[in-house]
Amino acid sequence: MKINILIAISSLFLTIVSCKQNAAKLPILGNREVAANGKDTIYQSIPDFNLLNQDSVYINNDSLKDKIYVADFFFTSCPSICPIMKKQLLRIHDKYKDNNQVAILSHTIDPKHDSVPVLKKYADKLGVSSKKWHFLYGARDVIYNMARNGYMNYADRDSLAPGGISHSGYFILVDKNRHIRGAYDGTDEKQVSQLMDDMDILLAEYK
Amino acid sequence: MRAKIISIAFSMLIICIFLSACSENEVKYQRYYADGSQIYQVHCQNCHMKDGSGLANVIPPLTDSTFLRENRKDLACYIVYGLADTIVVNGITYQTPMPAEKHLAAIDIAKVLTYITNSFGNKQGIYDVKEVEKNINNCK
Repeated sequence: MKINILIAISSLFLTIVSCKQNAAKLPILGNREVAANGKDTIYQSIPDFNLLNQDSVYINNDSLKDKIYVADFFFTSCPSICPIMKKQLLRIHDKYKDNNQVAILSHTIDPKHDSVPVLKKYADKLGVSSKKWHFLYGARDVIYNMARNGYMNYADRDSLAPGGISHSGYFILVDKNRHIRGAYDGTDEKQVSQLMDDMDILLAEYK
Repeated sequence: MRAKIISIAFSMLIICIFLSACSENEVKYQRYYADGSQIYQVHCQNCHMKDGSGLANVIPPLTDSTFLRENRKDLACYIVYGLADTIVVNGITYQTPMPAEKHLAAIDIAKVLTYITNSFGNKQGIYDVKEVEKNINNCK
C-alpha cells in the first residue's frame, strides 16, 4: 500500500518536472522544409522588408536584429477591435519600457488615411515613442502580403466590416532570428499575459 | 425556544427581502442596469474598455462623473449621432471621431446610460427611457 502511494507521488513529481522542462523553450512556428544537405531544418522566417515608422525612419530586419518583437496589424480609425489591441500592447510597452531587447511593430493596413504624420500623432496620443514602438507605414499590397505570407496573419478590404477593412487581432512574437515563436489573441487579456510570460522565456534564451 | 429562534430568523429574512426588493423603482433600476451591461459589452466596450478607462489620449474614459453629470442631457445624442467634434474630458482634449449608433432603440440607450452612469465609480441613479426620448428630440 505504502509503495503504491510512493509510486504515485514520484510519478506525479516526474510529470511536473518534465512539464516544466517542456515549457522552458518556445516552439518555432510556421512552415518548415528540409535543407539541401538532408539534415537541417529551414524554418519559416519573416521576409525582408523596409518600412517607414512614425518618425520617417526606415525600419527593416537589420534595425531589429538584436531585438525580439511583437507585431500586429491595425488602423487608427478602426472602431472594432483595435482599441482593445492597443490597450493590451500598452501593457507590453509598459512592462518592457526599459528593456532595449524588446520592440513593438504596429503595421497600418489603411495607408490611404494613416499617413506618417497621422501615425505620429496617434503614437504621441498613446504616449509612446519610436524607441520602443514603431508604427509602420507601407503600400497596401506590401503590408497585406507581409501579413499573409510573413506573419501568417490576415488583412483585407471588406466593405461589410466596421471601418471598411477586416483583419485578425493576433499578436505575433518574433525572435532575433526572424522566426515566429508565438501567436496570441490581442483582444484577450489572458492570452496577452501568456504572451508576456513567453517573452520572458524567449529573452532567457539570449542570456 | 428553538421554534422561537426559527420564527424570528424567518421574519428577519422576510423583512430583508422586502427592504431590498419591494420598491418597484429598485427592480426597474436593477433590470436597466443588468441589460445595460450587456449592451455596453456589445456596443461600447471595444473602445471604452471593460473598466471604462478608454485608451490613453485617444479615446476618453467614462470615469469623469462631473462630465457625465454636466452633459447628462447630451449623452443620448452622443450615442445616437456619434461625435465628429473634439471633446474635453478630465482636462484632456480628444479628437477621435465616435461612430453613430443610430440603430439603438431609446430603451436600449436608457439601459446603457443607466449602466454607464452607475459604473466605473459613477453613482447617478436610473436614466429613464422617457428622459432619453425627450433628450433625443433636442439633439444639436
